[in-house]
Amino acid sequence: MTRFRAIVAMVVCCIFLPSCSPSHSDRIVVGSKNFTESFILGELIAQQIEAHTKVKVERRFYLAGTYIAHQAMLAGRIDIYPEYTGTALTTILKQPISRDKQDVYQRVRDAYQQKFGLTLGPAFGFNNTFAMQIRGEEARRLNVRRLSEAAQFAPHWRAGFGYEFMERPDGYPGLVATYGLHFAEPPRIMDLGLLARALKERQIDFAGGNATDGLIPVLDLSVLEDDRHYFPPYEAVPVIRLQAIQQHPEITSALADLAGKISDEEMRQMNYAVDGRHRDTQDVVREFLTAKRLMP
Amino acid sequence: MIEFRNVSYKVNGVQVLSDLNLHVARGETLVLLGRSGSGKTTTLKLVNRLLSPSSGKILVHGTPQEEIDVIKLRRGIGYVIQEVGLFPHFNVAKNIGLLPKIEDWPEDRIRARVHEMLQLVGLPQDLAARYPHQLSGGQRQRVGVARALAADPAILLMDEPFGALDPLTRDDVQREFLLLQQRLQKTVVFVTHDLREALRLGSRIALMEAGKLVTILSPAEFLKSSDPWASAYVRAFGDGLESAANRGIS
Amino acid sequence: MNVIRFMLHNRSQVLDLTLEHLWLVGWSTLMAALIGIPLGILIAHRTRLNKPVLAGANIIQTIPSLALFGFLLPVPWLGERVERLAILALTLYALLPIIRNTYDGIRGVDPAVVEAGRGMGLTESQLLFKVELPLAVSGILSGVRIAAVICVGLATIAAAIGAGGLGEFIFRGLAMVDNRVILAGAIPAAVLALLADFGVGWIEKRLRPR
Repeated sequence: MTRFRAIVAMVVCCIFLPSCSPSHSDRIVVGSKNFTESFILGELIAQQIEAHTKVKVERRFYLAGTYIAHQAMLAGRIDIYPEYTGTALTTILKQPISRDKQDVYQRVRDAYQQKFGLTLGPAFGFNNTFAMQIRGEEARRLNVRRLSEAAQFAPHWRAGFGYEFMERPDGYPGLVATYGLHFAEPPRIMDLGLLARALKERQIDFAGGNATDGLIPVLDLSVLEDDRHYFPPYEAVPVIRLQAIQQHPEITSALADLAGKISDEEMRQMNYAVDGRHRDTQDVVREFLTAKRLMP
Repeated sequence: MIEFRNVSYKVNGVQVLSDLNLHVARGETLVLLGRSGSGKTTTLKLVNRLLSPSSGKILVHGTPQEEIDVIKLRRGIGYVIQEVGLFPHFNVAKNIGLLPKIEDWPEDRIRARVHEMLQLVGLPQDLAARYPHQLSGGQRQRVGVARALAADPAILLMDEPFGALDPLTRDDVQREFLLLQQRLQKTVVFVTHDLREALRLGSRIALMEAGKLVTILSPAEFLKSSDPWASAYVRAFGDGLESAANRGIS
Repeated sequence: MNVIRFMLHNRSQVLDLTLEHLWLVGWSTLMAALIGIPLGILIAHRTRLNKPVLAGANIIQTIPSLALFGFLLPVPWLGERVERLAILALTLYALLPIIRNTYDGIRGVDPAVVEAGRGMGLTESQLLFKVELPLAVSGILSGVRIAAVICVGLATIAAAIGAGGLGEFIFRGLAMVDNRVILAGAIPAAVLALLADFGVGWIEKRLRPR
């Protein structure tokens, strides 16, 4: 009778719904964070795996930040995503900064393997550390090329930074402490993608961008040298779930081919192609892989 | 059978019953008669411990109430209320058979008992599969009585059970009650504010006012009583009471 | 229709995200029911507790969901795996409708029926399981239905903190300024909400005593 059927339906729901957690052992899910360079690297990883293995690849880009991407890895919702060694060390592992590239890489890889069941693939080759930028004309007029020289001009400048930079321990607080920077007003917080333009259009005078910003040469922006070596290394690496490697060992060799293949300049060019010239990310990545003879 | 010794009941600062002394003999129908607020329903609920006395002792079957397991006590007492309170999600058979089922009677004994009870209260057997909302007021009342009697309790408590029925139906069920009592000889405590009903159904009438027992009299004595409250009642109810007192058809 | 084509083209991801969403909703509704129904029964019987409990559940509802997710992030065990946090937050939001409707359902049982049952000699637990609950089950389930629909909606916000689910499409679509992606998340979520409403409503109707 209908009463009985209703009770059965209830019980089925109670058991079925909570056990809905999806697993996808037949596919690899590649994630990325929500800025251009991350998409490019994510797309690079995806196309490389698609070209060199039979594994089906799914893309899950636009994850809104380091924490969310990390959570997605832990939960197994994604299998690989591009991260920076410095970010992993300070934001996720919450360990103090180190200046040595190798040291940072080792420590991150070991900690990830132990704590999270994740590992790092070989670095892509470029170091996307923070780059403090001013307008090229300002740099020439004031003859300032190093961050240590910036302290005297800081009170006349409005600064702009991305949200994460303001909050991170290896970001704003340490910067102003190391270089004695006192800006006129509290810095403006804006989307990373808008910083370069805001700088060019004089809405801000000092921007906390990244070394591989595509617009640096195009907009005649000048990067101030980090002569006190405040900023730690930020090598771009693929973070991979150990379980995914077990299930699809062939991805390791596919990713190994990418080791060291991207220079700072090449990354800037790809960034500019997508951001500045609004080209399709997939096309830009495919061209790069072909040029490097990585496409079979 | 049931005995109240100096029972008082107070709630929220209001003294509902004061120093009640009462004795109900086996097989008699004691009517608790009184106005609203006289404490008669409270008295009834003290018997099956739906309420607990503030002071005094109540004995059932000679044993003090505190010494009897309350669930056992209640299962040995049938309880019929004015709204009846039939379980709307059970059909008639399941309503009547609930207590026997809980008492682990075998299925066939339950079925036989339901059959018997329906006959007893004068209801057709095909009513067994119907649900309470499909019954008339009178039918519901009778099912209520059948349910109360299903486990064969020695005592029956009835709280204005026929108050919500129309006069014709009420007359019918009263007559059937008398016949039933003749057959079953249960010990009944019956609450009503209707003197006619009290005279017709009760072997004794306990008149209550403001939480106190005013007097206990047989129906015939009640009519002739010179007690101010009793005579006030008689006057209020007007003529034709003698025939009710004689347990005939009014 | 662009959206349909997009969803078909990405059907494995749509399915993945839908299952993730169902997982969040399933667990949180279940936990809210396991906690809320007994609580509702408790306060229906001990009416002195009803004001504080209902007030407490009410206060939780007034906290903006994203804020609640944010508060819970630093908490040790919860913050480590954001799905736990999301499920906890969703469960908290689902409590009020369940507690409230259970309370109303039980209080709504005809007091004459309860009195007759108690007078008959039913124990308190027999009264609860044989009389009150069967008569209140429709009310209780309407609370569960409301809770499930709330959870489907709120679970889309859980994607903002990384718990996955259909909200991920919505946030991604917003960032990409791509309507197809937004709708690829919003449409299945709406469908789930409707299914939950109808589904539990169907069960509710079947269990309602005539």
